[in-house]
Amino acid sequence: MTDHRILTPMKRAKGLGGGHSGVPHWMNQRITALANIPLVIWLIYSVMKLAGANYLEFTTWLSHPLHAGLMILLIVSIFYHATLGLQVIYEDYISCKCLKLTKIIGAKLFFIALGVACIFSTLKVALS
Amino acid sequence: MAEFTLPKNSKIKPGRKVDAAKGAKRKKTFKVYRYDPEDKQNPRLDEFTIDLDQCGPMVLDAIIHIKNDIDSTLTFRRSCREGICGSCAMNIDGRNTLACLKPIAEVSGDVKITPLPHMPVVKDLVPDLNHAYAQYASVEPWMKTETPAPTRERLQSPEDADRLNGTDGKGPSGCILCFCCSTSCPSYWWNPDKFLGPAILLNAWRWITDTRDEATGERLDQLDDAFKLYRCHTIMNCTNACPKDLNPAKSIAEIKKLMVERQT
Ligand code: SF4
Ligand code: SF4
Ligand code: FES
Repeated sequence: MTDHRILTPMKRAKGLGGGHSGVPHWMNQRITALANIPLVIWLIYSVMKLAGANYLEFTTWLSHPLHAGLMILLIVSIFYHATLGLQVIYEDYISCKCLKLTKIIGAKLFFIALGVACIFSTLKVALS
Repeated sequence: MAEFTLPKNSKIKPGRKVDAAKGAKRKKTFKVYRYDPEDKQNPRLDEFTIDLDQCGPMVLDAIIHIKNDIDSTLTFRRSCREGICGSCAMNIDGRNTLACLKPIAEVSGDVKITPLPHMPVVKDLVPDLNHAYAQYASVEPWMKTETPAPTRERLQSPEDADRLNGTDGKGPSGCILCFCCSTSCPSYWWNPDKFLGPAILLNAWRWITDTRDEATGERLDQLDDAFKLYRCHTIMNCTNACPKDLNPAKSIAEIKKLMVERQT
């Protein structure tokens, strides 16, 4: 990561300047963290309640608009939170710019794909 | 990736052992980090056993004694020897602190002394602070106003002054720029080039919260960045480390609060 250019300390300290976009990332990370608490409690409660249920019982449960709705909210909130969190981890620990960007874009695509697949599956069960 | 181990040429080797306390009643051994960029050797840990009756009670007194009477090549910074100049910051017994405020008696066993962590070393216990000072200058730590200067003093109520001094005297204006906090912050270790670190953010806050300064918005604009400010993950090492008992983590939280406030 050593930069061999001859730069004054001030030039290095100022770098590329502020990105003016720190707030939304920070806020969304906290909002999704808050939302995850009740949603995950609901998920654990539901899994325990459904223990031993057969396929029909499960699909009937998921077809209920409230359950399908909460499930989709959970998927969005968890995967969005994971994307933001993973980005911070990559930014903290990867110093190679290329690898960092690849990892961040990769994480975004991965979680979007996963989210779409999960939402589609939920809707398929809920609407059939 | 982030560096979790020291590079080969930074690995610390055992150094020489000097017993300068023959026949002394109160002995103590100091293990001191030594590095000289000119001899192209790895850093080493020299051991000096000294007679505590020959020096004062603080760790700084001990290393001054070592330099004066045992090894004059030992290099470190110090000036005020009373916790005001911030020059003698170093890592003592695993913690960043001021050598002049750290009583030798507080360390059980040998006293291990190394430079502030994760900074380039100029020599022995002297870290290179050029980048940190430039980061400090980059937040423009002086009063900025558009209103023409009044003919008399700029008015400030005692409550306004408390924002800077703190009601307990531990407000942000108490910072002596020793960098004990920044060099104990993992986020600063991994991204010192882009993250400003707790010392600088506390000082940025000192000007943001100054009721006489008129550049609050510009100052917040400059900090609104995923790295400059938001690399702080509230790990709190900074507040733990500050030898002046200041609270950089709180200053950073206040900046983050204003960032949200101006968008809502
Ligand atoms: S609170 Fe922030 S600045 Fe302080 S040590 Fe933690 S990450 Fe660093
Ligand atoms: S906040 Fe404390 S530890 Fe940090 S530079 Fe200032 S005085 Fe030193
Ligand atoms: S010598 Fe000034 S703070 Fe220690």
